[in-house]
Amino acid sequence: MEISHGSYNQKKFALPVDSEHKATEFRLFSAAAPHMRAFHLSWISFFACFVSTFAAPPLLPIIRDNLDLTATDIGNAGIAAVSGAVFARIAMGTACDLFGPRLASATLTLLTAPAVYCTSIADSPISFLLVRFFTGFSLATFVSTQFWMSSLFSGRVVGTANGVAGGWGNLGGGATQLIMPLVFDLIQNIGATKFTAWRIAFFIPALFQTLSAYGIFFLGQDLPDGNYSELHKSGEKHKDNFAQVFHHAVTNYRGWILALTYGYCFGVELTIDNIIAQYFYDRFNVNLHTAGIIAASFGLANLFSRPGGGMLSDFMAKRFGMRGRLWTLWVVQTLGGVFCIILGQVGSLGVSVAVMLVFSVFVQAACGLTFGVVPFVSRRSLGIISGMTGGGGNVGAVLTQVIFFRGSRYSTETGLTLMGVMMICCTLLITLIYFPQWGGMFCGPSSKGKTTEEDYYMSEWSSSEREKGFHRASLKFSENSRSERGRKIGSAATPIDGTPNTYV
Amino acid sequence: MAIQYRFLLASVFVSCLVATCYGGVSFKTLQTTLAVTATHKEGVLKAGLDNITVTWALDPSAPAGADASYKTIKVKLCYAPVSQVDRGWRKTKDDLTKDKTCSHKIVAKPYIAGGAVATATWTVQRDVPTAKYFVRAYAHDAADVELAYGQTTSVDKKTNLFDIEAVTGRHVSLDIASICFSAFSVVSLFGFFFLERRKTRIAEAK
Repeated sequence: MEISHGSYNQKKFALPVDSEHKATEFRLFSAAAPHMRAFHLSWISFFACFVSTFAAPPLLPIIRDNLDLTATDIGNAGIAAVSGAVFARIAMGTACDLFGPRLASATLTLLTAPAVYCTSIADSPISFLLVRFFTGFSLATFVSTQFWMSSLFSGRVVGTANGVAGGWGNLGGGATQLIMPLVFDLIQNIGATKFTAWRIAFFIPALFQTLSAYGIFFLGQDLPDGNYSELHKSGEKHKDNFAQVFHHAVTNYRGWILALTYGYCFGVELTIDNIIAQYFYDRFNVNLHTAGIIAASFGLANLFSRPGGGMLSDFMAKRFGMRGRLWTLWVVQTLGGVFCIILGQVGSLGVSVAVMLVFSVFVQAACGLTFGVVPFVSRRSLGIISGMTGGGGNVGAVLTQVIFFRGSRYSTETGLTLMGVMMICCTLLITLIYFPQWGGMFCGPSSKGKTTEEDYYMSEWSSSEREKGFHRASLKFSENSRSERGRKIGSAATPIDGTPNTYV
Repeated sequence: MAIQYRFLLASVFVSCLVATCYGGVSFKTLQTTLAVTATHKEGVLKAGLDNITVTWALDPSAPAGADASYKTIKVKLCYAPVSQVDRGWRKTKDDLTKDKTCSHKIVAKPYIAGGAVATATWTVQRDVPTAKYFVRAYAHDAADVELAYGQTTSVDKKTNLFDIEAVTGRHVSLDIASICFSAFSVVSLFGFFFLERRKTRIAEAK
C-alpha cells in the first residue's frame, strides 16, 4: 500500500487503524509500511545493539589472555557495559519526544558503532573497559523501539508490539553467545592466530549495527502520517517544549515506580547475562562450550517469553483493563523472584538448568508486562517515561552486580537467592500505582470529579497550550485509551459532554 | 510424551554419572623424581619469537626403580603464583583434572630409562599470554596417569621464574580498517542529517 504524503485524510494503510492512524492489529509476518516495517527495522537494530554489547563475554577466555585482564577487570567491564545506558536511555527518551524515534535511534546506533570497531584495537584493561562502556550506550535503542511501537500501535496491541520488539531485540544477548564463538572459529580456520581472530570477529557485529542504522534511516517512518520533521513543518505536529515534557515526566510518580520495578526484572536479566555462564562453569564444572550454550538459552527464551508477557498484558486488559495489567505484572514478577531464590538453592545441574529456564520465562515476561503499562503513564512525555523506565532497568543491573556479584562477599548461589528476595520486595511497589480513571491494584477508579481519560491526559497541557491546539494528539489518545477500562464499563465517570470540543 | 521425558531424564542422569567417574590424581601424592631445567635468553621472552630449551632427567637421588612405570614425559609451561592472583581460570587445585596451573604444553616425549638427559627446544607459541612462568615436567604411565613431576622452581614457586610477553594480535591493517569504518559511520550520520534537512526544505518550499 502506498502512502501519499499529500492530504492528511486520504492516506490508506495496509493494516486497520484507529483515529490516530495507529494500527489496531499486529501482523507479525507482514512488512507493510509504515507500521510493520518500522516494527521489523526497530527489533533488528535493537538485536544488533544487544549482539554488540554482549559480544565480549563469549570470547573472554581469549580476550583475558590477550589483554592480561584480572577477574576484577572483567567484572568492572561488565558493569561498565550496562551502566552507560542508564543515562543514555533517559537522553534517548527525550530525543524521541523531540526529534522522533527514527532519527534518534539511527543517530545513536551510528555513533556507537565506532566503539565496536575500536574494540578490535583495544590493548589494555582500561581500553577494554572503555570500549565496553561506550558500546553499552547502544542499549538505549530499547527506548526508541518501545517509543516507536507505542506511536504506531493502538492500546489494544501495544503490549504485544512492545513485547515482541523488546523480546526479539533482547534475543541478541543470547544469540551473541552462539554467534561470536562461531565467527571466531571461522576466522581462525581461515588462518588468523587466536589473538588476531577475536579482533577481526568484532567487525561482524559492528557492520551489522551500521547497516541496521542505514535501514532505519532510509526505510523507517516516525508516525503513521509521516516523519517528525515533515509534520513539524506542515504544522500537523508541533515541536514540543523540552522543559515542559521533562517536567511532566519527572513529576509523574508512576514513572519512578515503574523505573524501579523494571530494574528488578530487566536489570536482573542483564545481570544473569553477565554471570550465568561462569556460575555453571564454576559450580557444576561443565566445560566452557556447555556453559556458553546454557547462557545462550537464558537469553534465547526471549523469543517467546517477553512477547508472551506483552500479549498477556493486552489479553488481561481486554477483560480487566489497566487493573488486570497491574495485577498480572505483580504476580509474574513476584514469581520470577521466587524462582530466582530457588535457583540459588538447587545443587544439581539438571534441576538448576530447568529452574533457570522457568526463571527466565517469568522474568522476561515481567519485562513485557511492564511495557504494557508504560504507554499509558503519560502521552506528552512518553519518551522520557520510557527512557526512565529503561534506564531504571540498567540501574537495577548495576546495583545487583555491585551488591551481590562483585568480589567474594557472597558466593554466586547466595547472591542469586538474595537477588530473588530483593526482587520480591521491590515488586511490591506496583501496589502503589493508581490511575484515577482506571484504578490501581487494590482500588477501583475514583468516583469524584475530574476522573476520565481526557482529564488525566489533558492535565499535562496548560490552557494556553490547549488554545493553540497542541494537545490534539493527546486528546485522540485519551479517547482510544478508553479500552483500558476493561469489559465492565460504567465503573468510571461518564465521558464529558462536549467539553473537549472547545479545546479543538 | 511421558516416556520420552523419562528417557531424556535418564540419559541426563547417566551422563552426569559418567562425568564423575574420572576422579583426578592428587598433586600432593606425586613424587619429585625428575630434574628439570629451562634455558632461554636474558630478559623478557617474546611469544612467537624466542625459544626455551628444556632438559629433563631422572634425579640421581631418586630411589631405585622409581621410574619403572614411566612411559611418557609431558613438559608444560606453568603460571607463577603472582600471575594467578585474581584470575580464577588459572587456579591451582590439588585434583590434577581440575588444576589449571599448567595450561600450555611444551613437548611430550616417550621416557627413556637409563638416566640420560633429554632435551627439547620450543618456540614460545603465539597464544601464550603475558605472565610469569616456570616449567614443570610430569611423568605419566601407560594409562596416562601422572606418577611424578619435576619443576624448574622451588616448592613455593617463587624462584627462577621468567617473563613472557604476548603478541598483541594487532596489525596495522586492522587498526586502519577500524579507524576508517568508524569515521565512515560518523560521516554518514552527518550525511543523513544533511539529507533530512534537504527533504524538509523541499517539503517546505511546496
